[in-house]
Amino acid sequence: MQWKPKLYRSVIEDVINDVRDIFLDDGVDEQVLMELKTLWENKLMQSRAVDGFHSEEQQLLLQVQQQHQPQQQQHHHHHHHQQTQPQQTVPQQAQTQQVLIPASQQAAAPQVIVPDSKLIQHMNASNMSAAATAATLALPAGVTPVQQILTNSGQLLQVVRAANGAQYIFQPQQSVVLQQQVIPQMQPGGVQAPVIQQVLAPLPGGISPQTGVIIQPQQILFTGNKTQVIPTTVAAPTPAQAQITATGQQQPQAQPAQAQAPLVLQVDGTGDTSSEEDEDEEEDYDDDEEEDKEKDGAEDGQVEEEPLNSEDDVSDEEGQELFDTENVVVCQYDKIHRSKNKWKFHLKDGIMNLNGRDYIFSKAIGDAEW
Amino acid sequence: MAYQLYRNTTLGNSLQESLDELIQSQQITPQLALQVLRQFDKAINSALAQRVRNRVNFRGSLNTYRFCDNVWTFVLNDVEFREVTELIKVDKVKIVACDGKNTGSNTTE
Repeated sequence: MQWKPKLYRSVIEDVINDVRDIFLDDGVDEQVLMELKTLWENKLMQSRAVDGFHSEEQQLLLQVQQQHQPQQQQHHHHHHHQQTQPQQTVPQQAQTQQVLIPASQQAAAPQVIVPDSKLIQHMNASNMSAAATAATLALPAGVTPVQQILTNSGQLLQVVRAANGAQYIFQPQQSVVLQQQVIPQMQPGGVQAPVIQQVLAPLPGGISPQTGVIIQPQQILFTGNKTQVIPTTVAAPTPAQAQITATGQQQPQAQPAQAQAPLVLQVDGTGDTSSEEDEDEEEDYDDDEEEDKEKDGAEDGQVEEEPLNSEDDVSDEEGQELFDTENVVVCQYDKIHRSKNKWKFHLKDGIMNLNGRDYIFSKAIGDAEW
Repeated sequence: MAYQLYRNTTLGNSLQESLDELIQSQQITPQLALQVLRQFDKAINSALAQRVRNRVNFRGSLNTYRFCDNVWTFVLNDVEFREVTELIKVDKVKIVACDGKNTGSNTTE
């Protein structure tokens, strides 16, 4: 059943000999025929580490072909580099896009997909200082307790997770200081990135830029290993839109655990500096948010960006095999039988490619349940 | 006319790629390449029918099945292929099977 060099070789020989006449009829030189054979054999050898073919020349050809492969690998490396670079650029506002998204990727919490444009808008509109911005961006680095949320008004609010899980939000101005303090701790990990991004994402959704952002306490939960950002309410416009759901999924568990200890910046209520209007509006949205929070949490931030939804897709093809090959069996069927959901296969004359290797059978019988 | 089924195998694909390269360099015509492929179909069908004599069993769970134009296509999950000598496990496999009952398609050479 295994890859049979002899069989393959004999097939090649047969084919080449059979087409020789065709080549000659077409006026094609024998040389081309030989070249075809060489190419064919080389490719076969490449696809499996088997069977030295005849001459060294062919091996040389193989080497030439192999040189192309490293180039491809380089591309992969570049790709990785790009992902890592954004972290360094965090401090810059202009690079919000780069920062947030890559950070999320690194955080291994897949979902965060924040609309770049929106983020940028908010960032630009924000009154935050560069430091604050940096802090915000730096958050993804993994500070658990502190989350920054960009309001539609562009203000950065820090959401701080109290030890008991209560979330508080305070205005950027305060947060600036806090951020600075927090930054050093935050670093690597990008745990927060996804959260922040997720948080930020919905904001742009439909909130007028002028409204302040009120994030009710306890809406953002950091559970031990999971960080979930419960929808935050935005004052003024549409509470529904204001909901921010960030399900920080499986962010590095270590980080959240660590984050609990150090900085716990708590602001009672909605923040001392928040206006009265905000406070009032917060209360109104409590009920709605709580409901949404549960819902959104379950749905993994579905409220947010559409791209996030794409990650929810459960596809059988993903992650099934580590190998590049899709395992394929090409054959003929003698009989296919089904009884209820029990299938029986009677196959013959098949070539299988499993786990990268070729196998052949003259008969195959199988059972499967559907 | 032999089945073109086996063109999408390692053997068949490498042949097609090689032919494509020759076409690119204009050493052969596409028509010629097509004829080569047809010849390949015959040869592989014949070889499989005559030169291979072994048996395989497999078991798994059926994910999807399709029967169209007399061609069965299955996708199985968590499959084990057994031969006397060895066992192969795969998470997913696609099986494409043409009608083999009246295989007059073997090469008539």
